[in-house]
Amino acid sequence: MDNASASMPVKPPTTPMLGATAQLSAVDGLQLGPRATADAKVHAPADNDVALIAAVRRGDAGSREALYHRFKRRVYALAVRIVGPIEAEEVSQEAFIRIFRGLEKFRGDAALATWIYRLAVNAALSHRSRRSTGPQPEADDDVDMQVGAEPVRGDAVLRVRIERALKRLPVGYRTVIVLHDVEGLEHEEIAQILGCHVGTSKSQLHKARARLREMLAADGITAAALENG
Amino acid sequence: MKPGATCKTYTTERLSAFVDGDLPPAEAGAVRAHASGCADCTAALADLRALVTNVRALDVPEPPPTLWPAIEGALHRRERFAWLKISLWRPVGIGALAGAVAVVLVTVALPAGRARWNREPAAPPVQIAATPVSDPLLHEAEAEFAQAAAAYERSIEKLRGLLVREEARWSPQERTRMAERLGRLDDVIARSRELARRTPGDSAGNEQLFAAYQQKIAFLAAAVHRGGESGEWDKPGGHRP
Repeated sequence: MDNASASMPVKPPTTPMLGATAQLSAVDGLQLGPRATADAKVHAPADNDVALIAAVRRGDAGSREALYHRFKRRVYALAVRIVGPIEAEEVSQEAFIRIFRGLEKFRGDAALATWIYRLAVNAALSHRSRRSTGPQPEADDDVDMQVGAEPVRGDAVLRVRIERALKRLPVGYRTVIVLHDVEGLEHEEIAQILGCHVGTSKSQLHKARARLREMLAADGITAAALENG
Repeated sequence: MKPGATCKTYTTERLSAFVDGDLPPAEAGAVRAHASGCADCTAALADLRALVTNVRALDVPEPPPTLWPAIEGALHRRERFAWLKISLWRPVGIGALAGAVAVVLVTVALPAGRARWNREPAAPPVQIAATPVSDPLLHEAEAEFAQAAAAYERSIEKLRGLLVREEARWSPQERTRMAERLGRLDDVIARSRELARRTPGDSAGNEQLFAAYQQKIAFLAAAVHRGGESGEWDKPGGHRP
């Protein structure tokens, strides 16, 4: 089972394209406070990141591609889960262009991965804002297709159902649960990426899980199925 | 709410916070004590842990092989536009300088107190069509082309205003010839603008448009500077569109 999420119908944007925080607030009514620098731990780039950044800045042959390969799956997976598989390639392309353009100005006061996630989330949310007035892909087509295309095993079906429920979450909840539970980021990093307080990230995550559990229950996924998944 | 559960003591959100260790110690202790005697909450906690485990196990999709070539191509395009940006602004700077020199010469040379004609209405500012483009770099380049075009238009408008004063001393035939020449230059500009509009992202259309602007600016500057000698602009050595 791959690429099982797709775009959900979205509300028209109420604000012009801004940063991730403003966009989440606009779409979901999240109350994200000013960036919580006090409670967001700062992670400096690792040595290998520093070397890679320096190589890209010098224009070393192959350095851009090396950076791309290091982060491509994370950026693409995030894009798939925020905008859906159909538009994920376009969003990933935009995200990487922002990354390479911004690398000159990257000051290194956060981990490179965190900074890249931030740009990727912004690219995905900007894309959603731009496209929200246009026709949206049919929400469940790709999921159902994939269920049919794979040998039906219990865990595969369960993951498809989870992906389907994920994409029906409001984008603010979805972004946080994807960053934390799927991508494995800490709340401090998520707070940096979204420009919110750590507490806000935590509370959004727990709300997202509660909503996800309700959706799965409504979809007939029992606790036993989850535990055996 | 815990799906299917009857115990309402703790919400799923609070239990999720407990699972992650996000509750204050006192509340965490209370949840632990409650859950040890509550089958619903014990099941809900197991359910949540299983949910988190399953979400963490979701596949990480592999990007398509076309992604890197697309990014690389877009970056190269951007770098090409960056070079083009410099080469396009250079003539704008030269044009603006030429216009400024012409303005100074004409202002000093022309005798004061000449009758002022009403200025012809200025040509509407150029609007290079806003083509829906998904590439932000292309969009940025188009915006810069539009700015450059607007700079040329402003230079032309200033020179045109000076020419209107100068034309007062010309014969009707000279004014007619000037209008014809300017009309032809305007036709070239209009055609180039249409080409640029039809081919967003292709610099050829914009380069042709800017060449047409430069031609008109050079012609107007010569006419303003030399036209005081009764139609010198129309003599050999003057600019002929």
